[in-house]
Amino acid sequence: MDIFLQQLANGLTIGSMFALVALGYTMVYGVMKLINFAHGDMVAASAFVGLTIYTQVMGQATSLIAVVVIFLLTAAVMACIGIILERVAYRPLREAPRLSAVVSALGASLIIQNGIMLIWGPRMKIFPELVPQVYWDIGGVVISLIQVLILVLSLILMVSLYLFVEKTRIGAAIRASSIDQDAAKLMGVNVNRIIALIFIIGSSLGAIGGLFIGLYYRGITFNMGWQYGLYAFIAAILGGIGNIPGAMLGGMLLGLFNAFIAGYVSSTWADAFTFILLIVILIVRPTGLLGERVAEKV
Amino acid sequence: MKNFERYAFPIFFVVMAILPTLLDPRWQAVAITFLIFAVVALSQDIILGKAGMFNMGQALFFGMGAYITAILNSHYGWPILATIPLAVLLPALFGIVLAAPIVHLRGDYLLVVTIGFNIVFVQVLQNNLGGVTGGPNGIFGLDPLSFFGTQLTSQLAVYYFAFIVLLLTLWVMNNLEKSKAGRALHYLREDHLAAESIGINTRVYKIFAFGLGAGIAGLAGTVFATQYAAVSPEAFEFIVSVLFFSIVLVGGSSIPGVLLGVFVMFVLPEIFREFATWRYFVFGFAMILAMILRPRGIWPATFGKIPKFLIKETRHGA
Repeated sequence: MDIFLQQLANGLTIGSMFALVALGYTMVYGVMKLINFAHGDMVAASAFVGLTIYTQVMGQATSLIAVVVIFLLTAAVMACIGIILERVAYRPLREAPRLSAVVSALGASLIIQNGIMLIWGPRMKIFPELVPQVYWDIGGVVISLIQVLILVLSLILMVSLYLFVEKTRIGAAIRASSIDQDAAKLMGVNVNRIIALIFIIGSSLGAIGGLFIGLYYRGITFNMGWQYGLYAFIAAILGGIGNIPGAMLGGMLLGLFNAFIAGYVSSTWADAFTFILLIVILIVRPTGLLGERVAEKV
Repeated sequence: MKNFERYAFPIFFVVMAILPTLLDPRWQAVAITFLIFAVVALSQDIILGKAGMFNMGQALFFGMGAYITAILNSHYGWPILATIPLAVLLPALFGIVLAAPIVHLRGDYLLVVTIGFNIVFVQVLQNNLGGVTGGPNGIFGLDPLSFFGTQLTSQLAVYYFAFIVLLLTLWVMNNLEKSKAGRALHYLREDHLAAESIGINTRVYKIFAFGLGAGIAGLAGTVFATQYAAVSPEAFEFIVSVLFFSIVLVGGSSIPGVLLGVFVMFVLPEIFREFATWRYFVFGFAMILAMILRPRGIWPATFGKIPKFLIKETRHGA
């Protein structure tokens, strides 16, 4: 039972990171029908950007305000990169066959991943200890302050995103663009702006996810983006790609799945089990858990 | 252009045949690497370029061939050349079994699933499943090539082994293009629905392409294991698959284009050392630019030899 509760806590932490990153995939997919393969590398880049902001801009301060500023600055930098990415790599291909855009996304992924390597070097960097190491032992289950922080902040971000998309006029425009871009244009929605907005939201959420990954795992490498990116993408498919609550649910479920595999089987097989899960979903229920039944053919 | 095509192959053949005698051992090794990766890239071209399936797990079949050779040689004492039939057939069979449930998936999903296969494969190797893969260190100390009892220890022998494999691959691809299967693949890549409606069993041909590409990659794996006398999991990580994938797309799925891509990716870094760290970066830009400016690749493939007047007529008809 102890293992179960401990892995439940770990799984929810990992799951909320997956969910934050998965939102970036699912929102871009919803509107552009494109798997943004560069998103995972954006997440990795944000951990490095956060590291540099911490050492160069903030003078290694770890006060609460400093940490908040690091998070906001990193999110802003990544949002800018996200907009540039969309302009350079995706907008010229919007009318092209969609697989051309997929290749362009893979190219962008290689550029960002190797850009990180050229700037910060190929070795693993240690992410600063921005949050004090506080642990609570609750009946044999150890929970750290970082875990609580990641879970609570992620939930707040996800709920606010959900409310934004469901309750505001701009949110309605996002939903309209993802249902039918041409119809949305005719109704006066500026689809270009919506796409830019989606890249801003997706990249900033991914940036916060990347900082969480740095905080939680400490070691960051230039090529870690593919790993977390693929996991988050699987989470998005699990929940039903294009579906925002689906990405949140999928992220949490995948996090729990991983934690339980690591707890009860072996962490050396976690990747294998996760991809087998993906293959099974794609064969049995390609629309995911919350995907609409009449989704396009995959 | 026509003259170029007529003379290019004989010139390539002669140059590659006398090349190793002009090179010192280090550059011979680079030339062997070029030949091996050219074969893998061409096998990827069958799946990705000819059949249009977004396969990003080619390193799996390449690695499988290499591991089969290594396991049979080191654990069971088979001569390297005797392992070839299994190193071709097993990856081909595996490719067919893996492809069968997933070929209907759309491009980008197929891509993610094949990445998944590749990652599972590497994890299986690292965890030493069945105790035969040697874990993270792999298997080393393979025998050199031997031909009817004669040991061929020189690097030159490996070079010509690799060269024969490349010629064999080119021959298969040339015949494929002229065959019924090649035409079927061409149609189904151009227009899936139209191909189905004129009676092409697209599913069968897609699985066929997967099997053929996997078998050829397995053969390249045997040469790879021979060259290094060793195999290890990191040589078959999925980033290697990403390389072959981008080489075929940037090269434009034609033989000169693919060979050029392999040259840029694997030989240029040896000539310009600094380029080794920049190559992925450069290839990333090449992929985006190629998709925006030349969506059919830098050196686009031309299919068959259709007389000009026929092309004009069909255009007027449409």
